[in-house]
Amino acid sequence: MSLILALVLTFVLAAMAPRLHGLLREASGWVLALWPLAWTIYLGGLTGRITQGDPLYIRYPWMPQLGVSLSFYVDGLGLLFGLLISGIGALVLIYSGGYLKKHRHLGRFYLFILSFMGSMLGLVLTGNLIALFVFWELTSLSSYFLIGFEHEREEARQAALQALLVTGIGGLALLAGLLLLGEAGGTLELTVLLERGEALRASPYYLPALILILVGAFTKSAQVPFHFWLPNAMEAPTPVSAYLHSATMVKAGVYLLARLSPALGGTAAWQIGVTGGGLATMVLGAIMALGPSDLKRILAYSTVSTLGALTFLLGLGTPLAVKAAMTLLLAHALYKGALFLVAGAVDHETGTRDVWKLGGLGPSMPITATAAGMAALSMAGLPPSLGFISKELLYEAQLHALHLPALLAGAGVLASALLVAVAGVVGLRPFFGHPVHRTGHLHDPPPSLWLGPLLLGGAGIALAIAPDMAASPLTTAAVSAVLGKPTVVELRLWHGLNPSLALSALTVLAGAGLYAAQPFLLDIAARARLKEWAARWGPQRGYERMLQGLNALATTQTRLLQSGFLRFYLMIIILTTIALVGSTIAIREPLSRWMGRIVDARPYELMIVVLMGLATLMAVLTSSRLAAVAALGIVGYGVALLYMLFGAPDLAMTQFAVETLTVILLVLVVYRLPRFTRLSGRPARLRDAALALAAGGMMTALMLMVLSAPLKSRLAPFFAANSLTLAKGRNVVNVILVDFRALDTLGEITVLAVAAIGVYALLKLRME
Amino acid sequence: MAWLPLLPTLILTAGALLLLLAEAFRRPGSAAGMAWGALWITALGTGATGVLATWGPLEGIYRMVLWDRGAFWLSLTILVGTGIAILFSQRYLADRGIERGEYYAFLLLAAGGMLLMAVAADLLVVFLALEWLSFPLYILAGFARPQPESEEAALKYFLLGAFASAFLVFGIALIFAGTGLTNLSDLAAWLRRPDPGAQSLVWIGGALLLVALGFKAAAVPFHLWTPDVYEGAPTPITGFMAAATKTAAVAALIRVFWTGLGPAMDLWAGPVALMAAATMLVGNGVALLQSSFKRMMAYSSIAHAGYLLMGLLGEPSLALPGVMFYLLAYSIATLGAFAVAVRMAGPNGEDQSFGAYAGVARGSPGMGAAMALFMLSLIGVPPTAGFFAKLMLFAAAWQAGWIALVLIGVITTVISAYFYLRVVVAMWMDRPEPRHLPRPDPGARLSMALSAFATLFLGVLWLMLGGLSL
Repeated sequence: MSLILALVLTFVLAAMAPRLHGLLREASGWVLALWPLAWTIYLGGLTGRITQGDPLYIRYPWMPQLGVSLSFYVDGLGLLFGLLISGIGALVLIYSGGYLKKHRHLGRFYLFILSFMGSMLGLVLTGNLIALFVFWELTSLSSYFLIGFEHEREEARQAALQALLVTGIGGLALLAGLLLLGEAGGTLELTVLLERGEALRASPYYLPALILILVGAFTKSAQVPFHFWLPNAMEAPTPVSAYLHSATMVKAGVYLLARLSPALGGTAAWQIGVTGGGLATMVLGAIMALGPSDLKRILAYSTVSTLGALTFLLGLGTPLAVKAAMTLLLAHALYKGALFLVAGAVDHETGTRDVWKLGGLGPSMPITATAAGMAALSMAGLPPSLGFISKELLYEAQLHALHLPALLAGAGVLASALLVAVAGVVGLRPFFGHPVHRTGHLHDPPPSLWLGPLLLGGAGIALAIAPDMAASPLTTAAVSAVLGKPTVVELRLWHGLNPSLALSALTVLAGAGLYAAQPFLLDIAARARLKEWAARWGPQRGYERMLQGLNALATTQTRLLQSGFLRFYLMIIILTTIALVGSTIAIREPLSRWMGRIVDARPYELMIVVLMGLATLMAVLTSSRLAAVAALGIVGYGVALLYMLFGAPDLAMTQFAVETLTVILLVLVVYRLPRFTRLSGRPARLRDAALALAAGGMMTALMLMVLSAPLKSRLAPFFAANSLTLAKGRNVVNVILVDFRALDTLGEITVLAVAAIGVYALLKLRME
Repeated sequence: MAWLPLLPTLILTAGALLLLLAEAFRRPGSAAGMAWGALWITALGTGATGVLATWGPLEGIYRMVLWDRGAFWLSLTILVGTGIAILFSQRYLADRGIERGEYYAFLLLAAGGMLLMAVAADLLVVFLALEWLSFPLYILAGFARPQPESEEAALKYFLLGAFASAFLVFGIALIFAGTGLTNLSDLAAWLRRPDPGAQSLVWIGGALLLVALGFKAAAVPFHLWTPDVYEGAPTPITGFMAAATKTAAVAALIRVFWTGLGPAMDLWAGPVALMAAATMLVGNGVALLQSSFKRMMAYSSIAHAGYLLMGLLGEPSLALPGVMFYLLAYSIATLGAFAVAVRMAGPNGEDQSFGAYAGVARGSPGMGAAMALFMLSLIGVPPTAGFFAKLMLFAAAWQAGWIALVLIGVITTVISAYFYLRVVVAMWMDRPEPRHLPRPDPGARLSMALSAFATLFLGVLWLMLGGLSL
C-alpha cells in the first residue's frame, strides 16, 4: 500500500512543484530532492528482504472478470532500477535548482521531471503489462516536454518531436507485442507470465510478439538503427540529459529485455535479434562517439554504445553475461550521469561545450575536475573503478560465449578501446594541457552543481573498492531476478591473472593510441566524406523521409478524398455499394439463373427499349441542357409505353403525367441556368462512364433478381378479393387509394396543402 | 398501452409543434423564452423516459415499436444530448442574430425522430425515424444563413443524405421482396430457417442497409461528408450532430443488425469488421493532421464510429451494455468539448483553429480543466467515463475473438492521445495572446459543468461498481 501511495504522492508533488518553487525560490531544488531521497531510503529498506529472495508483490484485483488488476512487483531488478532512479533523481533535482536558477520556467521544469520520475518508478515497479505500457508512454511524453523545454529554439522543438515520434511509435509496437504476449500467456500479470516461459515460447504468437517488443525496446534504448534521436535529444537542458538520456529512461528498453528474458529469452530468434542488434550498436556507437566536438553529443554516442553492450549481454543470456550486464548498468548510470553533470558545469562556467575550445580547466575548477577524473576512470574501465569490474566481466562473458567467442571479444575490445579514447576526450582534455579559455576568472560552480557529479563519480570508485557494501548484494538480487533463479554474485577488483586482464591491458593501450590519433582519424573521416554519406544514407534520413511522406499523405488525402466535391463523395459511396452488393451477387447468384428472361421479348418491345437506349446515350453525350432534358423525357415516355403494353394503363397515365410535369419543371429551371462551360476531360468521362455502367449493371441485376424471387404477398389477394365486396369498386388501385387507405391519402393531401402554402408564402415573400 | 413506447417521441414532437405555433405569436425579443420552453419539453421527455425505465419489454402498434432496456439507455443519451445542445445554443444564436423559435422546434423534432429510432422494431419505422431525424438536421445545418459555409453544409448533407435514404428504402424493399417481412424479430426468425431461394435478396438488402446506416454513423468509406458538414454547420448543431445523431445511427445499426440480421452475423461480420478497422485508422490518422478544432472533432466522431462498429461485433452480453455506456460517455464528452468550442466562438465570426485556443486556460482555468477532462475521456484515460466505455467494448470484441480489431483499436487510441492532447497543451502551455473571451455565457458554462460532472461521475460510479458486477 505504501508503494502505491508513494507513487501517487510523486505525481501530486509534481503537480504542486510549480507552486512550491514559487514559495521556496532558491532552495526549491534542495527541498524537492528530499522526496526522491525518501524513495531511496524506502527502497533501500527493502533491499534486505529482496536479497533474501523474498520479492515484494502487491496485487489488488480490480476487474477480475477482465483480468485487470493493480499490481506491483519489486524484485532485485526493479530494486536496482528504482534505487538508480530515485538516487540520481535526488542529485539531479539539486543540480537543476542551481543550473536553471535563472530560468523563468524552472517551476514547470520540476513538474515535468518529477512526473518523469514517477512514471519511470512506476515502469520498473509495476507488475502488469498494461500498466507497464502506460508508464512507458508517460516517460516518452515527459521526455518530449523536457527535450523541448527551451521551446523558443527550433532545434529543441524538432528534437523533442523526433524523440517522441520514434519512441512513441516504438511504444505502439510494444503495446501490440504486450497484448499478443498476454494472449499467448493467458494473463497480463508479469509474475504469472514469467513462470509460463515454456508455453510462451511454443505459442504461435511468440515470434510476432517478440519482434514487436524488440522494436519497442530498441527505439527506447536507442539501438541501431533507431539510435539517432538520442544525440539530437541533447538539445535538452543538461540535467535532463544526465537523468533521462543516460542514467534512466533510455535504459527502459534494457529493463524490458531483462524483465522478459526469463519468459522470452533463450530462443534462436532472441539470440539473433537481441545479441546482433546490441553488438552492432555497441561498436557503431563507440565509433561515432569519436566524431563530434560537442561534449554532450560525444557522451550521447558513448551512451548508445553502452546501451548496445547491455542489450548484447542480455541477448547472450548466460549467467556470466547477465552478471556483466547488471554490473555495467550500475557502473554506467553512475559515471555517465556524473560526466553529463560535469559537462553542464563546464558549460555553465565557460559558456562552451566544444572539446577543442576547452583545456587546462583543472587548476581553476579542482572539484569539478576531480569528479570528472573519477568518472572518466570508470568509463575507461581502469582500476579501481566499477567500470573496470564490469569491463572484466564483459570480456569474461564474451570469451565464454557459445558461438564465436573470438569475434565477440574482438568487438568488445574495439568498443572498449574507443570508449577509453572518448573518456580521455571528455574527462582529461578539458582539464589538462594548456588553458585555452582565458576570458574572466574561472572557478568551481556553486555546491549544487558539483555535489551531484562528485557523489556519482565517487560512488563509482567507492562501490568498487568495497563491493560487498552495496554493489555485490544489489547485483546479486538483480541477476537472480533476471535469471529467474537464486545466483550469488561476488564482485572483485582483482580476479587474478586471466585472459580478461590481458584484454583489458590491450584495451587501455589501444585506447591511448586512439586518443592520440583522434585528430588524424577525424581528418581521414572528413576526406572520405563520411558525414555526407551518413546524412544521405543514415536512418535519420529515413526518419525525415517518413515525415515528408506523412505530410504528403495528408495533402494527398485532403486533395483526393476530402476534395469538397459532392460528386466525388457520391462516387465513393456508389463504388463501395457496388463492391458490397456486387460481391454478394457474384458469390451467391449464378448468372444463368436469370439470363434467359432477357431474351424472351417481342419485337415492338425491343424497339421501344432501343429507342430508350438511344435517348439515354443522347442525354449523356449532348452538351445542351435542354436536349438532355428532352432525351430524359423520351426515356420516361418509353417506360410509360412499356406499362401500356403490359396492360397497366392507369400506371402508364400516371407516368405520362409525371414525366410531362418533370420535363416542364426542368425546362423552367434550365432556362435560367448558364450554358455548360467547363466540361470534364476524357479520363474523367471514361471513369464516370465505367462507374455509371457498373452501377447500372448492378441495378439491372438486382431488378432481375427481385423478379425471379417468388413474391409471397398477402396484400394482393386480399385487395383483389375484397375490393368489390367491401368497397364496391372494381378498380383495385383506386379502391386502395380512396377507401382502404383513405387516411393515408388524407395525410398526403394535407402534406401537399401545407407544402403549397409554404411555396405560396415563399413566392409572396419574393414578390415583396 | 400500445402507444407507450412512443411517449418520449410524442412529447418532443408535440412540444416542437407547440413551439412553432408560439413562434408565430411571440413578442419580438423574447426568443430566449423559446429556449426555456424547449428545455422544459426535453425535461418532460426525460421524465417520461425515466418513468418508462421501470417497465419491462413493451411492444406496441402492431409490434412496430419496442421499449426495452436498450431503448431506455439510447433515449436517455439522446435526451441528455438535446438538453445540453439547447443550453449552449442560446447565446451563440443570439450573438449572431439568428435566434428564432424554429431552431428549437427543429432541434426537438430531430430529437423526436431519434427517440423513435431508439424504439424501432420494424424496418419501416427505422426508415421513418431516419427521415424524421434527418430533415430537421438538414435545415439546422444551414441555419447560420447567410454564411455560405453553412448553406453549403446543409446542401451537401441533404443531397448525400437523400441518396443514403434511397439505399435504405431499396434495401428494405429487397428484404421485403425476399421474405415478405419488415418486422425485425420476424426477420430474425426467418433467417434462422431461411428459404434458400430468397436468401441472396436478403443479403443484398442487408448490404444496402449497411451503406445507408454507415453513412449516417459516418463510418469509412461513407464518412466523406462529415468534416465538411461539421465544419460548416453552426457549432452547437455540430455538437448535437456529433452526439445525438451518432447515437441514433448506432441505435439503427443495433436494431437492424442485432435484432434483425443477428442470425446472419457470419455474413455481415466481415464487411463490418473491415469498416470498423478502416474507420478507426482513417478517423484517428487524419485527425492527427487537422489544424481546426471543429474538423478535428469531426474526425474524432468518425473514429468513435469505428470503435462502436467494433462493439457491434462483440460478445453480446458485454457488447450491449458496452455500446450503450460508450454512447453515453462519448456523447457527454463530445458535448462538453463543443460547449467549450461554442464558448470560444466570438459574436462575429469564429476561429476554431488550434491557434485560437492558445493560452485560453490561463484566463479561464475552469474551462481549461473541463476541456482537459473531456479530451481525456475521449482518449479513454481512467478514471473518466471514456476509459471504462472503451474497456467494455474492447473486452467484448476480444472475447468474441476479434484480436486484430482490438489491437487496431488500442493502437489508434494511443494515436488519438496526441491530437486530443494538442488542444489541452495549446490551452494550457502556449503563450496567451492578448485576447478577450466574449461576454459570459451561462448556458455554455452550465453545459461544461454538467458534462464534466457526468464524465467524472460515470467514471467513478463504474469504478465502484466495476469490481463487483459487470
